[in-house]
Amino acid sequence: MPDQQPVNIVMIEDDQGHARLIEKNIRRAGISNKIHHFLDGTSALEFLYDAADGPVRNGPALVLLDLNLPDMSGTDILAKLKADSSPLRRTPVVVLTTTDDKVEIQRCYDLGCNVYITKPVNYESFADAIRQLGLFLSVIQVPDPDPA
Amino acid sequence: MEAPRLSSLGRDSRASRLIISLLVLGFAALLLAAAVAFYVQRQNETDAAQVAHTLAVEASLGGYASAMERMETARRGLILTQNPAFATIMDEAEKRSRAQLASLAALIADNPEQRARVAELQGHLDVYGRHYRRTLGLRGADRDTLLAGFATDRGVIEVRASRAIVEAMLADELALLREREARQKRTQMWFYATLLTAGLLIILVAAATLLLIRRTLVDLRSSRAELHRLNENLEEVVDARTGELKRANAEIQRFAYIVSHDLRSPLVNVMGFTAELETARQSITSYLAKGEADGWQAPDATTRLAIEEDLPESIGFIRTSTQKMDRLINAILNLSRQGRRTLAPERLDLAALVQGIVATLQHRIDETGTDVVVGDLPLIVNDRLAVEQILSNLIENALKYLQPGRPGVITVAGGTDLGRAFVAVTDNGRGIEPRDHDRVFDLFRRSGVQDQQGEGIGLAHARALAYRLGGTIELQSELGVGSTFRLVLPIEWRSGEEHA
Repeated sequence: MPDQQPVNIVMIEDDQGHARLIEKNIRRAGISNKIHHFLDGTSALEFLYDAADGPVRNGPALVLLDLNLPDMSGTDILAKLKADSSPLRRTPVVVLTTTDDKVEIQRCYDLGCNVYITKPVNYESFADAIRQLGLFLSVIQVPDPDPA
Repeated sequence: MEAPRLSSLGRDSRASRLIISLLVLGFAALLLAAAVAFYVQRQNETDAAQVAHTLAVEASLGGYASAMERMETARRGLILTQNPAFATIMDEAEKRSRAQLASLAALIADNPEQRARVAELQGHLDVYGRHYRRTLGLRGADRDTLLAGFATDRGVIEVRASRAIVEAMLADELALLREREARQKRTQMWFYATLLTAGLLIILVAAATLLLIRRTLVDLRSSRAELHRLNENLEEVVDARTGELKRANAEIQRFAYIVSHDLRSPLVNVMGFTAELETARQSITSYLAKGEADGWQAPDATTRLAIEEDLPESIGFIRTSTQKMDRLINAILNLSRQGRRTLAPERLDLAALVQGIVATLQHRIDETGTDVVVGDLPLIVNDRLAVEQILSNLIENALKYLQPGRPGVITVAGGTDLGRAFVAVTDNGRGIEPRDHDRVFDLFRRSGVQDQQGEGIGLAHARALAYRLGGTIELQSELGVGSTFRLVLPIEWRSGEEHA
């Protein structure tokens, strides 16, 4: 049963432009899964944990996370998602951010992030990266969340 | 904080000047006392000799007087008794008198008055002698006359005169003796007075010196305590300042980091949507081409120009500008990241390090036909990566800005100077104008003909790193002749010394 449920993509990204570019390129890669876009951490967390159509209650999901958010740090969201008690701890998280600081990358992996992608300013590389991510998304298996 | 230290120093020097002058005074008094003692001793010796002389004169006078009296006694005995034995005594006594007189004359040779008297005595003695010999053989009436007028006898008169002279001489000698004794006493008085004064002076000086030294010591102790306190205070102040500086520096680095990050975000959009625009333009262009093939109404020339030339041109400019901006932001980001990197000092053989850098640049060295000479370089303790980055930047620059048409020669020399190590990278390249000597170290600033790739970051970065490593970079250059960049570093750097 769970295998047939479509994977929802939750994108937490405060920059509208970035969000649009990411979406465009994911679509170009042939991924048609539903993308839920949130501009800040609070509403994203609300959706992830409490919304009726959110991942906790409603099937597998994949999170695209930007680290620079207006209301909270992306790493806080990551820590919360990957905490031992979190029902979403097995949900794959792709950190997609401008920071290419080694320390920051290490910290994200330590917190349990599954993939870390730096947004290159060079658009071709950026588009490539997103398309690769799309291809990657089309083949990975995403587990169901733990029933809370 | 400065004033009390200065005044106490002034007091110190005044006190030590006073101590020295007091000591000099004390030694002078001591010397004076010694001189006076010596002088008085000499004087005493002279006086004693003179007294002895006077006594000898007196003794001699006494001897003469007694000899003379004996002569007279003998003469009278002879006259009275006619006993020839008295004649023998008389002769002996006369001889003795003459001998005494001669020795007396020798003794008083220095005194003209007494000499005159001795001469008189001599005269009296001679007269007396002649008279005695004349009266020696008198017999009968002559002898009676002699006896009758004995009271006025020539001999008696001479003896009396001699006696008077001897007494006068004795009186004189006695007066001399008194005078000499008085002088001796005076000298001794002076001696004691001087000794006493010198002694008192020495005691006073010693007391004053001790007092002053004690006060100076107390001052010294208190100023040492003060210094100690100031020193501790200073360390606290320095710590506080260092802390402030560290905070300020961290703030700036954080600021640079955040700014460059936040600048990057919109740039992603500009680049991204420019690319989207380009894609859109391409699809319009292909649509136009397709429309024309289908016999569709082509747009007018202006629209075509806009789509085929204006749009790509604009997009091209936007792209190159954003790319440049991205490079600059990356540079700032890198600088701020370098500033936050933890430095790990280790033992470095600079010669090996420079050889390594030269090896990585070998391709370009061969390409430009440059001669790179690496001399003896010091061993230092510092962060490998940072030193490598600085030197690599300097050597790369030397290689990059060669004078066209002149075979390049780059020398890397080094050594130690005043406890610091230095590496000088010298080239015969195009050189830097004097007005740009400071500017080349500024971020994004470059000098001379802009015919080489670069953002104007290398030297700024190198100098910032050198500062962090406790060193500096100095530049000497002449336009068209060449440049020397001198990296000065501590021989042994510990990360605790970091001025961050």
